[in-house]
Amino acid sequence: MITTRNLCKIHGAKAVLRDVSLQFPEGKLTSLVGPNGAGKTTLLMMMARLMEPTQGDVFIGDRNVADMRRADYARRVATLRQSPDFNLRLTVEDLVAFGRFPYSRGALTPQDMQAIDEAITFLSLEPLRRAYLDELSGGQRQMAFMAMTIAQQTDCLLLDEPLNNLDIRHAVQIMRALRRLCDDHGRTVILVVHDINFAASYSDHVVALKGGVVHCAGAVHEVMTEDRLRELYGLDFEITQGDRGRLCNYFNPPGELK
Amino acid sequence: MMRAASRNAVWMAVIALAVVFLFFRSGLDFDYVIPKRLARLAAMVIGGVCIAWSSIVFQTLTGNRILTPAIMGYEAVYLLLQSVLILALGTQSLVLLGPNGNFLFSVLVMLAYSWILHRWLFRRGRQNVYFLLLVGLVLTMVIGTFTQFVQLKTSPGEFSILLGFTQASFGKAEPAQLLASAAVVAAVCLAGRRQLPTLDVLSLGRDQAMSLGVDHPRAVQLHLALIAVLVAVSTSLLGPTAFMGIFVANTAYALARTRRHRVTLPTGCAIAVGMFILAQLAVEHIFNYKTTVGILVNLVCGGWFLALMARTRGTA
Repeated sequence: MITTRNLCKIHGAKAVLRDVSLQFPEGKLTSLVGPNGAGKTTLLMMMARLMEPTQGDVFIGDRNVADMRRADYARRVATLRQSPDFNLRLTVEDLVAFGRFPYSRGALTPQDMQAIDEAITFLSLEPLRRAYLDELSGGQRQMAFMAMTIAQQTDCLLLDEPLNNLDIRHAVQIMRALRRLCDDHGRTVILVVHDINFAASYSDHVVALKGGVVHCAGAVHEVMTEDRLRELYGLDFEITQGDRGRLCNYFNPPGELK
Repeated sequence: MMRAASRNAVWMAVIALAVVFLFFRSGLDFDYVIPKRLARLAAMVIGGVCIAWSSIVFQTLTGNRILTPAIMGYEAVYLLLQSVLILALGTQSLVLLGPNGNFLFSVLVMLAYSWILHRWLFRRGRQNVYFLLLVGLVLTMVIGTFTQFVQLKTSPGEFSILLGFTQASFGKAEPAQLLASAAVVAAVCLAGRRQLPTLDVLSLGRDQAMSLGVDHPRAVQLHLALIAVLVAVSTSLLGPTAFMGIFVANTAYALARTRRHRVTLPTGCAIAVGMFILAQLAVEHIFNYKTTVGILVNLVCGGWFLALMARTRGTA
């Protein structure tokens, strides 16, 4: 289980994140939601150790992650940022193979090959296995990067806006894959997501941030209420419960925006 | 496989070029001509390895295909040093230091420069490679202006000696320098060899490399240090070769058709050595020493660089 204690991040005079103490349940899918500038990505990056907290600590189990070697940490927690656009000519398979670096430092073992195959199969990427990344669509690329993160075979995955710039079909595909990682493989998944309906339909647990502090956190049905979402976004929400789950409608609120 | 074949072809071509270079119009003179040519060939191999390795790794660290370590100001420091030496000691400096003394002194000054630069930058907690580049670029310009100022004060005779330092050449390397350089370069390559997979990961960018367990700041510092050593050796041995690295690195990527350093680094070395031999052959047998290797290399590489800019504009 990942726990944060009094995490703060201060840039100059501005506190981006203040006193964030949270517990992320193991084997569950947790969404970080909130308006722009709420500190969602900052929180995720500090948990991923890509950013140093100004104050406070992150624990995995009862170990402080600041005391762990980075190479060891990479076998516990895998991170995927918004798919970076580098101009490397790599095949999907080459990219996924990078996920095994924390274990084999570049010399792939049969065990690594198996993990690569599993990750590629898990996301149904076999047809694209030998395709070059720069020939893929945005959605396919994102799937390839996800496969690399999955091949890292960590207990915990941190994803920064994995649905960014994806069409709805790819978005559903990715969220389903993440759900399966939790349900079938017992992995802990924590992601930043902007689409409140994806968060509502796929998460077990939701953390809502606003202005650098935790607005509310809890099981999805506790956080996703009309009142709380209205306070969080300053928008009027109508939440309806259909056969396929909860739907948060904010598209056409009555009256002027405050 | 196709790829392996084209890589081997590069090495075959380089070996063939080397043989031509050694024996063409030599009269099989094993007492004077061929030993002299062997020394020049050794200088080319050492210089080629330095330039290819430093440029390719530098481009990996910066994630940019149109940079070379020259932008960090090493060559500018070298030229300033030579200008100051000539101004302060006059042509006497050549005698005073001797070729070996000058070589050693240049290497030490360039290493000191990069040590101070890195130390100053990294101590202030700035681990941003782009900031490092910006500082390097500004320093290059400042040092370049100083050099021009110093050169204005020299006499025409002294200036003509300075001109010799501003252009790459293989003739000025002494056997002792070659041996020392070869040892240093071999040591760096051995140290770097174990890092090749890490370099591949570094090319994914800082965040991805760190989440794959690479200690990014430490790795960058290590590789910048290795680059500093290689650039110091090649600049002291041959002189400045500004554009060469871009040409070598990009041709290596195109030929290797992969960005794995296990492949691109050896291919780049072969291309650099091959380029040097071709240019030297042209200088010796076509232009009859009326032009220099530096001018030929810069002409070809400058043109290539412009073409590259035009082609990759927007993505590079």
